[in-house]
Amino acid sequence: MTVNIKFSGPPLTVPSATRQRPPTPAIYAGLLVALCAVMLVSISVGYRIYGLDQVWQALTAFDGSETAVVIANLRLPRAVIAPLVGAGLGVAGVLVQTLSRNRIASPDTLGLNAGASLGVVIASFWFGVGSMTGLSLAAALGALATSVLVFAIASSAGGLSPIRIVLIGVTFAGLGHSLVEVVLTTNEAQLSQLLFWLSGAFVDRPLALAQTGGPIIAIGGALALLLARPLDALQADDATATGLGVPLFLVRGLSFLAVSLLTGAAVSMAGPVGFIGLVVPHAARWLVGLRHGRLIPAAALIGAIYATLADVIARFVVYPTEAPVGAITAVVGGVVLLVLLKRRAA
Amino acid sequence: MTDRSSARIDVRDLSLSYGKVNVLQSLSLPIERGKITVLAGPNGCGKSTLLRAIRRLHKPTSGGIYLEEVDISRLGDKALARQIGLLAQSPSAPEDMTVEELVRLGRYPHQSMLQPWSPDDASALESAMSGTGVSSLRQRRLGSLSGGQLQRVWIAMVLAQQTDVVCLDEPVNHLDMAHQLDCLDLVRQLKNAFGRTVVLVLHDLNLAARYADHLVFLRDGAIAASGSPEELMTEANIARVFDVNAHVITDPVHHRPLCIPLSTARQASA
Repeated sequence: MTVNIKFSGPPLTVPSATRQRPPTPAIYAGLLVALCAVMLVSISVGYRIYGLDQVWQALTAFDGSETAVVIANLRLPRAVIAPLVGAGLGVAGVLVQTLSRNRIASPDTLGLNAGASLGVVIASFWFGVGSMTGLSLAAALGALATSVLVFAIASSAGGLSPIRIVLIGVTFAGLGHSLVEVVLTTNEAQLSQLLFWLSGAFVDRPLALAQTGGPIIAIGGALALLLARPLDALQADDATATGLGVPLFLVRGLSFLAVSLLTGAAVSMAGPVGFIGLVVPHAARWLVGLRHGRLIPAAALIGAIYATLADVIARFVVYPTEAPVGAITAVVGGVVLLVLLKRRAA
Repeated sequence: MTDRSSARIDVRDLSLSYGKVNVLQSLSLPIERGKITVLAGPNGCGKSTLLRAIRRLHKPTSGGIYLEEVDISRLGDKALARQIGLLAQSPSAPEDMTVEELVRLGRYPHQSMLQPWSPDDASALESAMSGTGVSSLRQRRLGSLSGGQLQRVWIAMVLAQQTDVVCLDEPVNHLDMAHQLDCLDLVRQLKNAFGRTVVLVLHDLNLAARYADHLVFLRDGAIAASGSPEELMTEANIARVFDVNAHVITDPVHHRPLCIPLSTARQASA
């Protein structure tokens, strides 16, 4: 009996369970084209449908006509804010799912949306904030404060283990939502305005919000990209990641920062829009695989497309009135998620 | 492969505790260059802790670990990861990760912001995959692999790291007999073909005797005995370290000591 140096064993090539993907640049190009297309659709299609020539006219030579006003003041902000929010939440979702090693985690799981809502409610009732900009700022601060708290508590007993992050996040989410309910039920006067805000929407948001939100999303996205390789290694268990030389605490801390920048900015622009951060990472992984250097840009593009598309669909499901976009992202997202899970199981 | 002489590790007077529990007590152990050193001992003897301390996953309470006379606590995360690799006990990665994506992770300590992926990385990746026989699996998802294939892929990841020293924490724990041999042959290959220094935690005494160049018995956080398998595998040592009355013979095929457990000797101490 000899010891075989070229290893014997079961046959190593089984063709199933592999997937040939188109080259990544082609995927990005396709997504970019799709994004431009849905943005154009978002500007031209709604209660009234405008031709591309009217859109061009209104954006390049504003003439004060009703058409030009609708396109420039109502449609354009939505077509800019929706993709920004979608991109931010898509990337935040990738980070949260990697951080928690949990594919059904999302920024909501960390309690960030609840924190943002609480921030808005507190600002409105206790500090009398009424302006859209003020409420946006309160939302971003609420999300940031929550992420700092979750991070501090999760890391206090050492470890920052994925399960602790999720447990503490879920606890904060529940706590935040119930506090919001308490405040809302005791103050009915401002209820309708706040309910609108708390449902999350792209409609009637001033374009100015994108001027602060956009750069913050860009910074958060850039930070996420810088963390791409350590995040790849963090997909393995802690011992393996440490063995590869990943400084776990530093990487997790910076990832948390990126998540709160992205979520805070997204919430400040559109309120809490659910399900984007949960679903988009799955679609992105399916398209480009698990390496974050590819995954993060793909998630940004898919998130942007998804949010914009949902915003367009929201204009038609109960035409002529509008459905809340959060309901659309949840319905579409839920179905997509089920299909993805089924595919993976098959 | 790159030409490199294997490093030598020196564990000096190492003590380590979790909270108030002393796990290792002034333990000293030189680990020879280019050999397979196997750490064995009963449950809770501190063998995994010692291995993890060698890879700096635990901080010593006192004493230290020296790699070529350099205290490893002075090395940066990536610098250390270029010297000592670790295959953790029951490592995990997402089921939908592909084999190639996992093996690539081994190149992490060799990369930087300015040097994301070099020809060196590519050739290390290829030689790690071909050296472990997993090249044909590269696009497969981890979830679709058998336990034996999966373990081979993890070894490929550690091999791609191109470290002088490779630590493996109970690598054959959940494998059947064929895959245990397959995995340990591969570990021997790390030494023979790639010239690595290997530190291995093993539960199975007969496998330890078969694959070790140097065998270390631990008990209660200290070294109970250390030497060649022939020197160590005595009936007296096995009774003293493992509380087992055993009969030791020489394996007629591999001419290594073979332990036949007879009964537990714990009645007295229990």
